[in-house]
Amino acid sequence: MKYCFYPGCSMEATAQANLKSIKAVAEALGMHLEEIPDWNCCGATVVSSVVGDFTQQVMAARNLAIAESMGLDVVVGCSSCYLSLAITNKRFKEDEHFRAVANEALAAGGLKYEGSLRVRQFLEVVINDAGLEKVAQMVKRPLDGLKVAGYVGCQTVRAIPYEFDDPEYPVFMDRLIEALGAAATEFPMKARCCGSSNALAATDIVVDSSRKIFASAAEGGAQVIATPCPMCQMNLDAYQQRVNQLHGTNYYIPVLFFTQLMAIAFDLSTDAWALDYCIVSPYNVLAPFTGGK
Amino acid sequence: MEQKNTLTEPVKYDLSFAREIYSLENGYYIKQCMQCGMCAVACSTREIMDYSPRQLFNLIKLGKKEEVLSANTFWYCTSCCTCKARCPRGVPLVDVMHDLKKYAIEQGYDQYPQAAFYKAFWAEVAGRGKVFEGGVTARYYLIRGLDEVKKALAMKDVGMNMLKHKRLPLLPPKKVRGLGDLKKIIHKAQELQRKEARA
Ligand code: SF4
Ligand code: SF4
Repeated sequence: MKYCFYPGCSMEATAQANLKSIKAVAEALGMHLEEIPDWNCCGATVVSSVVGDFTQQVMAARNLAIAESMGLDVVVGCSSCYLSLAITNKRFKEDEHFRAVANEALAAGGLKYEGSLRVRQFLEVVINDAGLEKVAQMVKRPLDGLKVAGYVGCQTVRAIPYEFDDPEYPVFMDRLIEALGAAATEFPMKARCCGSSNALAATDIVVDSSRKIFASAAEGGAQVIATPCPMCQMNLDAYQQRVNQLHGTNYYIPVLFFTQLMAIAFDLSTDAWALDYCIVSPYNVLAPFTGGK
Repeated sequence: MEQKNTLTEPVKYDLSFAREIYSLENGYYIKQCMQCGMCAVACSTREIMDYSPRQLFNLIKLGKKEEVLSANTFWYCTSCCTCKARCPRGVPLVDVMHDLKKYAIEQGYDQYPQAAFYKAFWAEVAGRGKVFEGGVTARYYLIRGLDEVKKALAMKDVGMNMLKHKRLPLLPPKKVRGLGDLKKIIHKAQELQRKEARA
């Protein structure tokens, strides 16, 4: 199985744990991820508010055009990048006029995109292409008894509703957690927003949104939160202490990428576990599964 | 006695403002809104918005330019897509919110800190082809000025924790090699976007 891989800006900075664990897990599952050469920022959900939807989507499409020349579907880890690339891709496929005008812009850089590719979330690729059975077979350190809140976040399942999971009651994450031997907890807020890119300009949004997510995770008895999204991971991890200070709460719930949990369960290298990057330390709660390394 | 619930004068609709908003990239979708209120119930940040998306769309229809452009609604929108996924009329609210942010910035209604963040983010992308957290932050404080820096100092524990856990690289990523071509593509896209808007 071969794919183009779009890492996105955050995986080079705040979410290196995501990059390391995705690469290692993919390799273990026999997937070959070929990084899109010289990829550029997809614009996330930010750039269109300054330069407009069209320009943002053309910018995102430069990556798709390069991938198309390699003839491989695009796999994305970051939820925001997934949203931006998947929506752009859908427009190229469905809107002929848009495709023509967008290609006029791409031509200024010597590129063209026909819309022949699929843009896919890594979580979906793991489940649909590798399959849960294969995942379960790969488990060497079952996460028995670990209670995990599967936090899909908002954009992963709502970018294109029903593209792969239910936008209101997503289950992919929970099934994956169970395949690793862990228990997926009751978690009604699993698809609620964490406050997204507001950490810098409007911290109150992030603090307030995260607070509700912690409350819901704690009520379900979660020991850790697992997510596919760099922004969710960042907000819930870096601002957990701040939530506690401001709201007099006492949450201590490590937040990991689901791929980090996979890397542990598959007994891959500690470099792939990438636990040092976690701000809320996961070492204690994961001790029963990380022994001997 | 003043009768508060009785209209003594007919409501004046300022259609020119509404028309201008409808002409934005996703603006025409607002006309499909049937004021059902689903978005208001669904919204992640409704509690801190001054007008819900539904109310904002109504204000647009009524031509209340000042209220609309000073509203915090679109700035507090996190692009979570919940409303877009649930709207029974298929209004892509997220994209409308992005259009409104862009329009507000152009009209000089950029006093919300989020506007500075968006501009800083774009400046990074335009100059490098990729986003560097440190660069966005520096640009953001340049736009916002000293007061905001004081607020940032109150948050320094968050930053220190991120540094400690290797989450904040001090050096920017390499520029996109094809930055020159990317710039040409963006330039052309902007030109075509303006042309399409007139068409
Ligand atoms: S959910 Fe859609 S139709 Fe209903 S009020 Fe909101 S925008 Fe209008
Ligand atoms: S996308 Fe924006 S307006 Fe819609 S529910 Fe989310 S925060 Fe509210």
